[in-house]
Amino acid sequence: MKTASKKPSQFIAPDAYPQMLSKPNAARATRTLRSPQTAEKAQVAMDAQVPALRAAILGYVEELERSQDDMTLVFERAHEIRGFAETAGLVTTGRIADILCRYMDDMERIKKPLDTTLVALNISAIGRAARTEDIDAAMGDVVAAELAMLVARRLSDAG
Amino acid sequence: MTGAGFETLKALIVEDNAHMRSLLRALLNSIGIKEVVEAGNGQSGLVLLRERKSDLVLTDLAMKPMDGLEFTRRVRNDEQSPNPFVPIIMITGHTEKYRVEAARDAGVTEFLAKPITAHNLFARIGEIVERPRAFVRCDNYFGPDRRRHQLDDYAGPWRRTDDFQQEVDVR
Repeated sequence: MKTASKKPSQFIAPDAYPQMLSKPNAARATRTLRSPQTAEKAQVAMDAQVPALRAAILGYVEELERSQDDMTLVFERAHEIRGFAETAGLVTTGRIADILCRYMDDMERIKKPLDTTLVALNISAIGRAARTEDIDAAMGDVVAAELAMLVARRLSDAG
Repeated sequence: MTGAGFETLKALIVEDNAHMRSLLRALLNSIGIKEVVEAGNGQSGLVLLRERKSDLVLTDLAMKPMDGLEFTRRVRNDEQSPNPFVPIIMITGHTEKYRVEAARDAGVTEFLAKPITAHNLFARIGEIVERPRAFVRCDNYFGPDRRRHQLDDYAGPWRRTDDFQQEVDVR
């Protein structure tokens, strides 16, 4: 049987508050979002960002390599790399950064100390992938897969 | 046709990374949103929102001194908020379940995981345009309806006035 709390919540339907677009404009906007011209424009816009993103990623990688004793900074830089790498075409670099971030986040959540050797190994792999991914993506993929297994094992041992 | 419907909108990007701001601005421009303002954290985002009254907000999660969660809560709940109903898309690399839930409970409209693609961003904007969410106000929450689906076997408590209305309608 349904029972009500003392103060029932108020439900405000979409028609009862101001919308971002009127209905006719919303229909036009939807067509814009789905049009091939928009997809093409967006791709050109994304491509134009790639050189700056790649330069930024290499900067983050250098900071990451310099900050191995400061785990807060390591996480912050790895997190930035994870956020940008794939957009910049550095898929493996992003994948390894994601492995490192998830490992650090999980260990923090279960309040266990980080394996600094494993962190260093990930940092080294991120650096290598970021600098060589264009010419040696296959090796980067192998390294990423190995690291993922190693991290999973460490997390299993810790948890 | 490109840009139709969007060109009158104003968007606010709240993001501490200049490269991400640039990327998001470029993508918004590509659908016709020309008026885009940028803030480096939640605090300056609130100031800009009051000054520019944006129609759409894209925000990061982790920022200092005010993060995207607090920013969202303030937009939704502050008495001086210029538009508590403004659509907010949270864009972040922090995709752990507890963080997604925290974003939902702060009142974000859509959640988008990095890495960003045009397709994913446009899909979230499309959701807002095509299927605007109802809002819910209760003792400890104001924001978009957090129930995304109607479950036939829902076993939780029924608390809303419209829940009872639905029951009456069924009979």
